[in-house]
Formats: sequence, structure tokens, C-alpha cells
Amino acid sequence: MYGHQGKILHVDLSKGKTWVEDIPEEWRRLYIGSRGINAKILWDYCKDPDITWEDPRNIIIFAPGAVTGTTAPASGRTSVTTVGCTTGLYLKSNTGGHWGAELKYAGYDHLVVHGVASEPSYILIEDDNVEVRSAKELWGKDIIETDALLKKWHGEDSRGLYIGPAGENLVRASSIHCSLFHAAGRGGGAAVMGKKNLKAVSVRGTKPIRVKDPKKFAEIAEEMRENLRGDSGAQGLHEFGTAGSIAAVNEMHAFPGRNWQTGYTENVYPISGQALNELGYLKRRVACFGCTIGCHRYSEIPKGPNQGIASGGPEYETFGALGNGPGVIDTEGVLLANEMCNRLGLDTITAGGVAQWAIESYERGVLTKEDTNGLDLGWGKIPELLATIEALAYRKGKLGDLLADGLKIATGKVGHDSYKWAVINAKGLEQSNVETRSAKAYALAFAVNPRGPDHLMTETFAEFGSSPEAVDLIEKLTGDKKWASSHFTDFRAEIVRWHEDCYEITEALGFCVFTSTAAFGVNPDNMTRLYAAATGIEMTEDEMMLTGRRVCTLEKAFNITRGATREHDNLPWRLMNEGAKSGPLKGATNSQEELNEALDNYYTLHEWDLKTSWPYRSTLEKLGLKDVADHLDKHDLLPVE
Amino acid sequence: MEKLLLVDMDKCTGCKQCTLACSLTKEDLFDPKRGRIKILKKEDIALGIQLVCEQCETYPCVASCPDGALSRDEATGIITVDEKLCTSQGACVDACIYHAIQLHPETKHPMFCDLCGGEPYCVKHCVPGALLWVDKSDEMIKDKKKLRSARMNMYRDLKKEAA
Repeated sequence: MYGHQGKILHVDLSKGKTWVEDIPEEWRRLYIGSRGINAKILWDYCKDPDITWEDPRNIIIFAPGAVTGTTAPASGRTSVTTVGCTTGLYLKSNTGGHWGAELKYAGYDHLVVHGVASEPSYILIEDDNVEVRSAKELWGKDIIETDALLKKWHGEDSRGLYIGPAGENLVRASSIHCSLFHAAGRGGGAAVMGKKNLKAVSVRGTKPIRVKDPKKFAEIAEEMRENLRGDSGAQGLHEFGTAGSIAAVNEMHAFPGRNWQTGYTENVYPISGQALNELGYLKRRVACFGCTIGCHRYSEIPKGPNQGIASGGPEYETFGALGNGPGVIDTEGVLLANEMCNRLGLDTITAGGVAQWAIESYERGVLTKEDTNGLDLGWGKIPELLATIEALAYRKGKLGDLLADGLKIATGKVGHDSYKWAVINAKGLEQSNVETRSAKAYALAFAVNPRGPDHLMTETFAEFGSSPEAVDLIEKLTGDKKWASSHFTDFRAEIVRWHEDCYEITEALGFCVFTSTAAFGVNPDNMTRLYAAATGIEMTEDEMMLTGRRVCTLEKAFNITRGATREHDNLPWRLMNEGAKSGPLKGATNSQEELNEALDNYYTLHEWDLKTSWPYRSTLEKLGLKDVADHLDKHDLLPVE
Repeated sequence: MEKLLLVDMDKCTGCKQCTLACSLTKEDLFDPKRGRIKILKKEDIALGIQLVCEQCETYPCVASCPDGALSRDEATGIITVDEKLCTSQGACVDACIYHAIQLHPETKHPMFCDLCGGEPYCVKHCVPGALLWVDKSDEMIKDKKKLRSARMNMYRDLKKEAA
């Protein structure tokens, strides 16, 4: 087969059984790959709402993209799809690293894990040899130790994906790590693995990947590579990493600090990509498989009592969630917290989110020392932050147990209106570090995101207009360059809709979303041509974008089976009700009124019902999702047209 | 103007574009195991070391071959395998002081970089500039050797650590 390897590997941990299926030819046209085909598989196996995240019938699917393992630049990413632990809804999380390409070289496009193992286990894949092995020696080990043991047993060239103690302890902030420091972090997929007694998947492969028209493929890959080489966004990502943008975001008064109470921090320099470079912390610039950008960092503390402590990152989000958020404006403080999260297998965004909420709750007297394991929590207190992270990963004491279930459950337990400063929305995920009060397309994208409020289902970075390429894109989408400002509410639904589809096909092919929605060298036109050269499947650009819309709609439908309605498409209480503290949009909120208008426009573009937010039968049928419409109809989940 | 390949470990992000590009141009497919240039990746310290034929002046591979299957072009330093003579003993793999030789996964014959006849395909793919195709000069020859020593020192350190 060309492009894809054409195989889905199933492993049933309950029965100790493995089997391989061919990817149906039709799926390659309707869903392309990775995130798209994952959504279809999850729908087929788990649409019954009785299948909760912890039900043995829940499945977890890992999939590199349709062109992963080739020279298509930055196409080495992997989507992980399951019923999420944090929200109980649809969860897709995506990771970089080198594991996904290795799975493809082993001959598989998708790995579907069913059931629950009777004891801690890991899956070993070496081409056609697939085994479920005892993970007794791995259980309890951190990410670094786990990777080292797997490489000792299965070779330095093997690639690992694993959970740390946090995932074993079913912590909602846990993250699935891949190639050590890359992570499918959001939504608690690691807790799903923990529940399945699945510690790791080690892969080694020797099967080449072939494309239909190598010459044409190489030409289009070169076009993408040269676009990215010249793209100012991509250059900045290589030079300073994702954290290179922090100073600029702060200048826009849009860098959330102290649990979203501020958007501007004096002297933000110590927690920026520039500081990593200039103060001697940056050890190496690192790339995911096949990535010509190389935005990842490997940082080390060069001197002092913590000399030699090193890890991957920190990224923008980590400097936000574990730096500005808890008030730690200190490079080494964030490096230590980041290293601890990477070691214990925690998502830095959620870990930081719950820690900030705990600090504010303590400050308000809602939590006392009795609840905080005796810690005197406060803004900028590094040892207390580290102790909180450790408690979280191991569910240590009252504090650890409280935070480990995430803020949706914690606020219910604590009461006292503590939901008002818990930066989660109705779906229940802790928001990533984007100040949506002054970024109106992001606000809409976060509200409708099926997994909760974050930037990694649909990034609308272009709305900031911070590069010439971004401004051009906004002009293309809205008809005028002037709308390239995140402060406008006009045309935000149009901007989100285009990005949803573009983002989905980007992931389906295996590309990093930075290539198409932060830098702009990869786009629907060249992705469509590349897919044809890779597979021989010819489509128009519109047909390709429609596959994105089909998958977004299928993901939406999945959430509808779990009772999601328009009320779930909202933003955190604080952001909807408290004004931004400073900056050009001082006093602005993501008010219900503003959100309602954006949602109406967005649902209208999707041809979804405004009252329920649900797709009509005709909408689903137009997308080739008649079986989905029939299922929803059977359960009274179709709106009246 | 004669050219040479500069291979800088410090700029390598470990992405493997070079290896994939090599397997594409040589065999019309993508397979890191068929790249004439290889990236030795140490994930725990985020390191990538490029290993590739250096067209060196001592060429111990040629003398090591019990089959007499290897020959060297005097002008370019490029090594050629006579596949009719090669019986895949692997002596060249062990003999190479730059750890640059691997056996092809199917034919089991050793693979050598031939600089694509003077236009190395991998270089175009290396956006971070870890591979550069530069005009040959005394200064560049010195640079090439310096960069090579750094890579080989790191390689030895890693092997020592592993042992």
C-alpha cells in the first residue's frame, strides 16, 4: 500500500489476544488517517454512553499520520483517541517524538487497545511479533527509568510510549509520554492507560514506507519545506522555541498570571525562550521525527545547587502554567517544576491549573493547612509548588487526592463558589494559557472544542496577525486584512471554521499543526496534492477540507451521545464574568452574550441546530454520516429541522 | 570548484530528514535503515550524532574486506562495492573508524555515501544547517576535521558509558 501501511493492529488486554485488520479503502478517502480514522474507530466501538472512561470496553487508539515516516516536513506526529478521563467525553490528544514513525515502520497505521490486563503489562511490537508482557518491573517507575529499562530490554533503537506514576494513580492531570519528553498530555489519556494496567508500548520496525509517485511527492515535500524555511513563525520557533512568544504575548496583556487574575507581568523575561538561550540553560534544539523546524528544547541547569538537572522543554504553556500562573517568575523554578512533571508523567497545563486554583483557594481561606498537607501555599513559592506537584502525582495526603481528580470534581467537593476561580469550562478541562478575553476567535474555538477549552483541537493563531503570513491568511478568510486582530468579534466564526477543518486534515496526515496554523508553509492546497502523490487518491482541495468537517462533526456527535448540548460550549466562569485587569481590552470578558452571538454564527456555518447545538439529519447525511444520524435518531438526539 | 560536506553535530536536531531523503533518492522509498547517512539518536539526552562515510584518507574498510569487494576512487575518495564479490562478512563495518557503515537490510551489502555524484540530496533537507555543502579550502578542511572529532569524541563517550 502507498502512504499508509494499510493495517490496524488490535490488542485485547483482557483476552491476551491480538489481531490485524486492513484499513477499509473507503476510510482513506473519508477520514484520511490518524485523528480522522481514530474518530471513526472510537465511534464504532464506544458510542454507547455506558462505556465510560474506566469501563473495560473503552478503547485507546494510537495513530501516526497518513504521511508519517516520510520526508514531508514535520509529519511525525501521533494522535491518541479515547473516552477521556477528565471530561468523560471525546478525547483526542496529539504527541510529537519518534514513536509514531516507528509504529509505522513496524507496519501499522493504528494501534487499538481493548480491555484491561489482569496485571501491570506492556505491549511489545517488533514488526509482526506482538506480545503483551508483564510490566511488574516497570510499575511504579518514573518516565526516565521506564524508558531506560525498555531500551535495555529491546534495544537503543526501540521507541517507547509510557505513563508515569501519575497515570498509574489515575490522576486526571497525567499525561502519556512519548520519546521521553513529548506528550499526549491533555485530558487524562494516561489515566485510561493506568486503568487498563497498560504501562507502556515499545516499538521497533523495519518495514519501509512507499509512496505512489515518489518524484511528485518529493517535489511537494520540498515546496512545503522551503515555505517553512522562509516562514518567520517557523524561524522563531526554531530559534527560541514555543516560549519565544511570551514577551510579545505579555505586551498584549494576554499572558495569564496568578490564576488568570492578571494578563501582564513586569519583567517576564526570566520565563521566556529568550532567557533559556541567553542565560545558558538551552542545551540543544530538538526535533520530532522528520521535523525541519525543531522547536523542542532540551534544557539544563548549568550551575548552583541544582546543577545538572535537565529535561525537555519548558514550552510556552509550561512557562505559563507553572511559571506565570502560580507567580513563579524564575527560570530555575519553572525548570524544576517542568522536570518533575516530565519525570512523574504529568501534563504541565493541568498540573499548573490545579496548583493555581489551590493557591488562590488557600489565599481566600477556602482551603486551610489541614487541606494542603500542611503547606503554606502562596504565589511564587517554589518549594511549595514542587511539593504540590509531587502530592498530585502520588495522590499524597488530602491535597494530592483533592487535586488528582481535577477541578471539576474538586470544586464540587470544596464548594464555597470555588468554581468561580477554577479555570475550567462546563466540559471540565483546565484551560490552556490563552487569554481568551482578548482573543475572540480563540474564545469561540475553546468553547466549542470537544475536549474542553484549549488550543490543541483548533488553533486560530492567525487572528493575532503577528506575521505577514498570518495577515494574508486572515485576509483570505475574511476579505480584509483589517480583521487580523484578536480584539474583533467580527468573522470569528468564519476564522474558527476554516481552522477546524485545516487543523483536522493537518493531524490526519501526521503533520504538526505548527506547519499550517502557526507557521503557514503547509496548507490545504499542498496537503491535498501531497496526499494524492502519497496514496494515489485524487481529491479536490474542497473535498479534502470536507474530510476535516466530517471528522469534527463525528467528534461532536460522540459528545452528544454523552449528553453534551449547547450549555457545554462555554468558557470558565472567571473569564465570562470578571474583566481583564489591564491592557487594550481592560474590563473585557467572554460574556455569555458575546459568546452566544459567536456560537450562533458558528452553528449556522456548520448547519447545526442553534438551540441544542446538535447537527441535523440532513447535515450528517450530506457528510456521509447517515449511520451516525440513524444512531442519534434512535436515541432522540436529532434536532427537528 | 571542489566541494566538501560539513557535518555539525551541535546543529543536528535529530529529525532524520537526511536519512529519509537518502533512502528516497537511492531506493524510491522511506526507510531509516537504508540511509547512507545515519543519525545515532540518544533520546535521553536529546542528542543526534550523524554517521556517514567521510571519504577518509586511510580507508581501512578497503583493506579489511576479505572478499576484496571494496575499491576507492582516488580523486573523490568515494568507496564502491562490487556486489558480485561481496559476501556480507561485515568486516568493513567493524573496520570503519567513523562508524559510518551499515549493511543493507535486504541485500546485506554495505552502503556508502557517494555524495550523490556531487550534489548531496540530504543537504537540501537539512534546514537547521547541520549538513553544509561548501567550497573546499584549507580552512574548510580544518573545520570538517574539527567537527568530525567532536562527533567521534561524543560517540566514544556514549559507548564507554553504555559499557
